[in-house]
Amino acid sequence: MLNYLIRRILSAVVTIFVTTIAVAMLIHLVPGDPVQIMYAQSQGTTPEHLEQVRQSLGLDRPLVEQYVMYMQRVLQGDLGHTIRGEQPVLDLLLLRLPNTLLLTGTALLIAVSIGLTFGFIAAYKRGSWVDTSLMTTAILGVSMPHFWLGLILLFFFAVKLQWLPVAGNNLENLILPAITLGVTNAAIIARLTRSSMIDVFDQDFVRTARAKGLTRAAVLYKHALRAGLVPIVTMIGLQFTYMMGGAIVVENVFGWNGVGRMAIQAIFQRDYPLIQGFILMFALVVVTVSIILDIVYVWLDPRIRYD
Amino acid sequence: MNKTVVMVASGVAAYMTLTATAYAGDLVWARDGDIDSLDPHRATSTLSRQLWYQVYDSLLEFDEQGQPVPNLAKDWTVSDDGTEIVFTLHEGIKCHDGSAFDTNDVKWTADRAIFSDNPSLTKASWGPVTAVEKVDDLTVKFTLSKPFGAFVPFMADQFTSMLCDSNKDHDDFGVASAIGTGPWKFESWTKGSQIVLTANPDYQNFGRPVDNPGKPYADRLIVRTMPEAQTRVAGLQTGELQIIVPPIQEVEALQANPDVEMHIAESTGQNMFLQFSAHRPPFNDAKARQAVSYAIDKDLALDIVFGGLVVRERCPVSVGVFGHDENFCDKYDQDYDPQKARELLAELGYGPDNPMQIVMATWTGDSREKVLQVFQNQLKQVGIEASIEVMDIGTLNARVTTENNKKEGPGFINLMGWTWFDPDVLYLLWHSPGAYEGYTHPDLDELLDRTRTTVDADERREVVQQVFEHLLVNAVHVPIYTPGWLWMYAVTSKAPGFTIGPFNRPLFNAVKF
Repeated sequence: MLNYLIRRILSAVVTIFVTTIAVAMLIHLVPGDPVQIMYAQSQGTTPEHLEQVRQSLGLDRPLVEQYVMYMQRVLQGDLGHTIRGEQPVLDLLLLRLPNTLLLTGTALLIAVSIGLTFGFIAAYKRGSWVDTSLMTTAILGVSMPHFWLGLILLFFFAVKLQWLPVAGNNLENLILPAITLGVTNAAIIARLTRSSMIDVFDQDFVRTARAKGLTRAAVLYKHALRAGLVPIVTMIGLQFTYMMGGAIVVENVFGWNGVGRMAIQAIFQRDYPLIQGFILMFALVVVTVSIILDIVYVWLDPRIRYD
Repeated sequence: MNKTVVMVASGVAAYMTLTATAYAGDLVWARDGDIDSLDPHRATSTLSRQLWYQVYDSLLEFDEQGQPVPNLAKDWTVSDDGTEIVFTLHEGIKCHDGSAFDTNDVKWTADRAIFSDNPSLTKASWGPVTAVEKVDDLTVKFTLSKPFGAFVPFMADQFTSMLCDSNKDHDDFGVASAIGTGPWKFESWTKGSQIVLTANPDYQNFGRPVDNPGKPYADRLIVRTMPEAQTRVAGLQTGELQIIVPPIQEVEALQANPDVEMHIAESTGQNMFLQFSAHRPPFNDAKARQAVSYAIDKDLALDIVFGGLVVRERCPVSVGVFGHDENFCDKYDQDYDPQKARELLAELGYGPDNPMQIVMATWTGDSREKVLQVFQNQLKQVGIEASIEVMDIGTLNARVTTENNKKEGPGFINLMGWTWFDPDVLYLLWHSPGAYEGYTHPDLDELLDRTRTTVDADERREVVQQVFEHLLVNAVHVPIYTPGWLWMYAVTSKAPGFTIGPFNRPLFNAVKF
């Protein structure tokens, strides 16, 4: 296991390394002078200032040297300064990352609780009207765009009923965006849970457990659920990273002050250092989540041994 | 494990409570984006400038005609040769930290913007300043190496917001602190979320065009960032927000709503115009440019696309900017005349059998593409076949320069927008080599030089208008409309007293809530 973990972390380092190359070269993917493009909407900026920015980004040097310069800075925790307002990129990311993780985490909790419950019940009541209605609801859920559901919830709970505020960054403001993000993803988890559990119910070990005389509940909980969870956990891991993406839209609708919303703004303003920092941070989160998942597998299914 | 969860959760809760909630009596203004910096030397966006205007004052202000008037400075004199400008400050002005505002603060601000290692982004607009001297506590002298006509009006712009010199004791100036003399004191900025300002009890209004001589009536002004337009509208409906920047498709509904007052900025300094690739056929010939200008019905296009939310602009600078005179410009621009357009095209050898093929471009947003679609239709009537390309503003800027340098290819027109408070913008655009390396002319260069060196207001207006004439007659800069990106404010009727000053400066001093 330890060996595997070390290998896993090494491959993560390689992934991050490749990401840094892509990130450092991002600036050259745009046709034309990148500095001029960054300052496209800043009328009155002096040519001297543009030249200064060009030098500080190392754009006047060979590509390899540019990359080395970039990495030297990144390894020292310096992700550079934003073009707009010249603020430290790392500070801006760290200020907002907790908000996005909180939103995504809460949404995941909602998605998993609803998804597992619905999926499990549907599998257990396979073929009945309960199964059909739960799965129809799930299809509806999968088909709802975040943007649309967000606005519907906003108008119903904030404008009509006035139970919750429209937007902001207090805990009460977390409820609507987390539900929006969670509900659509719950549907996906519910469908997967159902099919995975149906598979497990048909397995020999479940029948054996029943034959031993264990109660139905004990069989379902102790034997079937744990075995059925393995593919679901993989899905949840993927869902988490998808949700980080979905958070971009939801954060915009509810004015939630997260990294996704900041990234959108940075892209519109062509603020390269900020976009670069965002991609790098996103890659780190995704890689970390996948390592955590690998550990969870072993806990769930002791047969999995990474040797 | 559980302990960790509790710790993380309580940490998050503590962080959340730090982002202050709004209390009754707070005026909340929601916009689509955040400021870039509290430091007027480090950013240029309108969103930033509008906030600086609340926290800082400048030496001068603009009146409705775009003329500089006294503000922190009670008067100013310009030497005969135009190279020495002396400002006299009002007595008894206080900075937000309680210190007296005097010429030390003016000198510190100007030195920082012009002579420091990291000068202002808009340093060039200060002109050829060689020294800033304190004559006494209330008198300060600027020395220029040569006359610069745009200097005095620049003293009324937010880029010359006066910073108190006590800011130098704060390492976080511009990021987490800001000391000025404006109507609102800076309290806090949660980036991407909100800025909290409190009414300045010592505020004295010398030059702002608003009906309140002192402290703002509301206790606090909270500036929220809310990118989704529908969410802002929802917030206005629930009473969570008092002032919002509404989406264009909601304007009609909001105008019909008795609980909402709609305000539209009349003078913004924004000028939307057509410019041409002038170094290759067909648009290296003035006749081809004029033909396009005659062929398009600008009024009709604006009516179809904006229905009265923007106004037709006839001058190369927009209403409210020095030198602007609609009657003057009307004499030299091209009014809709498709027959004239056909004749000009025939002279150039174009006709029904040989239509002119061109490309029209603009950047995304604010219905600009729709304007081009109407023009495309109108151009077709006279035998010009235009294709439309819409791109990001950064790409468009680069593209215009590239097209101007290309010797071959179809004619290229773009609908562009520039915003400035002074006709000096025409120098930046059209003096050789030109902002986009496009059309230039020795006569035009000479006139533009004179707009900078002429200091007397009447004489300068005359030269500025000669520049207009050159640009209009030759159809180099074909003005279409103003403002370019819509600046509207929807205000709840529960908070009366909101007004917009010249150049789209929102004034909250007299809002009662």
